[in-house]
Amino acid sequence: MPRLSPTKTKWFFDSEGRNRGVRRDLADVEQPLIDLRGVSLKFINYADKTFTIKRAFLQLLLRREKPVPDSEFWALRNINLRIRQGERIGILGSNGAGKSTLLRLLAKIYPPTTGEVAVRGTVAPLIEMGAGFNPELTGFENILLNGAILGFNRKRMLEKVEEIHEFTGLREFADLPLKYYSSGMYSRLAFGVATSIDPEILLVDESLSAGDAAFREKATRRIRDLMKRSRAVILVSHDMGSLRKLCDRGLWLRKGELIADGPIKDVIDDYEAWTKSIKTAPA
Amino acid sequence: MDARNETSTAVVDGFPAAPAPRRAVRWLQVARDDQAELIRFWPVVHNMVSQDLRVRYQRSFMGFLWTLINPLLMMAILSVVFSNLFPSRANYSLFLLAGMVPWGLLSGAVVESTASILINEGLIRKIYVPKLIFPLVRALLNLVTTVLSLGALFILLIPLGARPSWPMLLLPVAMGLLFFFTLGMALFVATANTFFRDCGHLVSVFMQAWYFATPILYGVSDFPEAIQWRFWLNPAFYYIEIFHNIICDGQWPRASILGTAAALAVISMGIGYATFKSNEDKMVFRL
Repeated sequence: MPRLSPTKTKWFFDSEGRNRGVRRDLADVEQPLIDLRGVSLKFINYADKTFTIKRAFLQLLLRREKPVPDSEFWALRNINLRIRQGERIGILGSNGAGKSTLLRLLAKIYPPTTGEVAVRGTVAPLIEMGAGFNPELTGFENILLNGAILGFNRKRMLEKVEEIHEFTGLREFADLPLKYYSSGMYSRLAFGVATSIDPEILLVDESLSAGDAAFREKATRRIRDLMKRSRAVILVSHDMGSLRKLCDRGLWLRKGELIADGPIKDVIDDYEAWTKSIKTAPA
Repeated sequence: MDARNETSTAVVDGFPAAPAPRRAVRWLQVARDDQAELIRFWPVVHNMVSQDLRVRYQRSFMGFLWTLINPLLMMAILSVVFSNLFPSRANYSLFLLAGMVPWGLLSGAVVESTASILINEGLIRKIYVPKLIFPLVRALLNLVTTVLSLGALFILLIPLGARPSWPMLLLPVAMGLLFFFTLGMALFVATANTFFRDCGHLVSVFMQAWYFATPILYGVSDFPEAIQWRFWLNPAFYYIEIFHNIICDGQWPRASILGTAAALAVISMGIGYATFKSNEDKMVFRL
């Protein structure tokens, strides 16, 4: 393992274990786990995605205007955010406000267009289930592969396999290729693997309903459990009740802008008042 | 409600901010970060390579043996066909195989990694994985099959009339050089194809043309002395020449050829890596 000094690059994760053995919880409680500075993210809706060589050459040579201009879309605008140890954050906002985009940005899937993102610690993205599953491989092999992607080596993952089987109840299908799984089994396995790791930062996206009612209840309990274990939680949901219960700090996003940041109760109250005022306002 | 219907956004009090002046890329830092990431994600690479190999031979009767048998059979066919077609050369089938095996690494890896980013779109859009590993996995897979083919070639060596010789100790070095040359090209092609989808079609045609332009089916000595220098313009020539020297002739390759091959590997790796890294961030928006 190369010993690298933490640097001021756009991205850096401290999950490589550079400071293993240091009581980090004592050493830098003050340091924020997540630090976003002036982060904006622009999506360009390419008029046609097949940007051909021919067109690129013509544009370069003739300095010609594009036949159809690409439309821009700012999904996140100038977001400043610091998340410290132990905070439970709920993100509110209506559809298209940029909540999921923010989660993906924190999970390093999208790079910021401007601004800086610094994330310290392992991130468990419960954003989309079953990322990195290979349908040709068996359930067991997929558990190992997914664990590797999430940052766990084979040995540590092998210790967890038993527990995952216990939770999903798919032990007898472990040697069956994933393509023969039913969609319910598939999502149960995906959920089981994603929630089996011990993250420092947990990103959860709302609709995590998988399987029947009994499983959903089990899943909810498992997420709550996971939230207790992780050092920071960011939860996106439309369910105000669970947000009130689970979070202590609320963020309200509107059109990609962070318009409120404070205790969850106040933010939810403001948000609900605003929603009502929109509804009652004459069209 | 708050749902956005309008696509264009008005400029609101100084937003979007003026673009910051472009900072110079610190390549050393980039490479060091990548090294750390590769170490962190090495189990993923390992997993992908080994499981791709396993899936390829799953449920076939001979299983993993096919990795060895397949090149053996291919070589047997090739040597029968071509040594009857061009019987002029002594030991032609050995000559042919010594060129074919390294070429298989180059063309296989480059052609396969063309679409490697696009194929793994599902993964890239859902979870963070350094995108570098996708072309790397394709190149490593081809390296494994090539090394196995080389093993098969050694089995064939005896009946074909060649003997193991000291210069063969240099084979791992030659393989390493060729691998880095290939990886550089693979990275470049993978980047290009993500932005220009036409590349995929061009690459396979280009590789075919390159194959015939490289002395694999024929030897350099089949041409008049005066125009032999033209082969020096072909980067693949140096690598194939090294393999010919070592395997067919049992000679140490000339230092100038080895040096050129190493230099070309560095150049290819440099161009490929720089192209890939400077466009890596944009890829996710282009899938």
